[in-house]
Amino acid sequence: MTAERPDDLTAADRELLARAVAAAPSPPEPRWGEYRAELRARLEARRSIGTRLRRWWARPAPIALSFGLATALLLFTLHPVERRPDFASVDEAMLGASLDLLENYHVVERLDLLENFEVIRRLDDVPSRES
Amino acid sequence: MTDDGEATSDEALCRRIAARDDAAFDVLVARYQARAYRLAWSFLRNAEDARDVSQDAFIRVWEAAERFRGDARFSTWFYRILVNACLDHKRRGRWWALRVARDSDRESDESLVERQPAPGPDPGDHASKAQTMTRLWNAVHRLSAQQRAAVILYAQEHLSTAEIADVLKVAEPTVRVHLHRAVAALRKELAP
Repeated sequence: MTAERPDDLTAADRELLARAVAAAPSPPEPRWGEYRAELRARLEARRSIGTRLRRWWARPAPIALSFGLATALLLFTLHPVERRPDFASVDEAMLGASLDLLENYHVVERLDLLENFEVIRRLDDVPSRES
Repeated sequence: MTDDGEATSDEALCRRIAARDDAAFDVLVARYQARAYRLAWSFLRNAEDARDVSQDAFIRVWEAAERFRGDARFSTWFYRILVNACLDHKRRGRWWALRVARDSDRESDESLVERQPAPGPDPGDHASKAQTMTRLWNAVHRLSAQQRAAVILYAQEHLSTAEIADVLKVAEPTVRVHLHRAVAALRKELAP
């Protein structure tokens, strides 16, 4: 492209670079007509996608939707909803899950002897009303 | 500068493309298609990829024509788009590209030897020349992407170091360093 090449390469360096590039095998030559037709098709596809997107965004519904989403996002960022975990309900759920293990729970409930360790230890020996 | 009777400069065509002139785009494509494909092929060493990437570069020209300020030559701007497209392509599919390159290395090793003329008076000399060419070309492919780009733009496209710096968006001394390192690597490759 440029006649003068002010660089500090020697003639031997330039010759080596020229040889290196000339060593490239010839690439398979495309059929240029097909190449341009393919390029034109790709360009058309790109343009139609662009046009469709522009048309879609120009409609009132997408504008309203985008505006709504942006507002919601802004509100959420400014006033994040506080969601503290409800520890009591978690506790209840865990307790409920383990209730099946106590066969004679109704006895405990009636006698209110939970503080009495001996009773608790021999809980299964306490005859229930049914048995 | 004229193609198909069009006495229009690249820069003027680019301005017309910015105004969505299809005919100007066709003229510019016809003018640059071979160079673009050849450069992409030298970089990627795969015909399909070179075809895709060079077409991508033209599509980017279409899309970005209005951003061409005209303070640089169109060719420099176009080379920048093309080299970036090649670098992007390599980055996107590094693993795949390496595999393809290895395959095409093998193919080109064979084709370089195969496409030599029938042995003449000194077959040994021909074989040795073909081997040297193959080694040189493979050595170019082993250079870093920036070095390879500098070598191809310098020796194949005949750009000056200042123009290469503009294309690669680096300082001119950096281009010189790339070229010197490339020369050193090629010499090392040729050393017995």
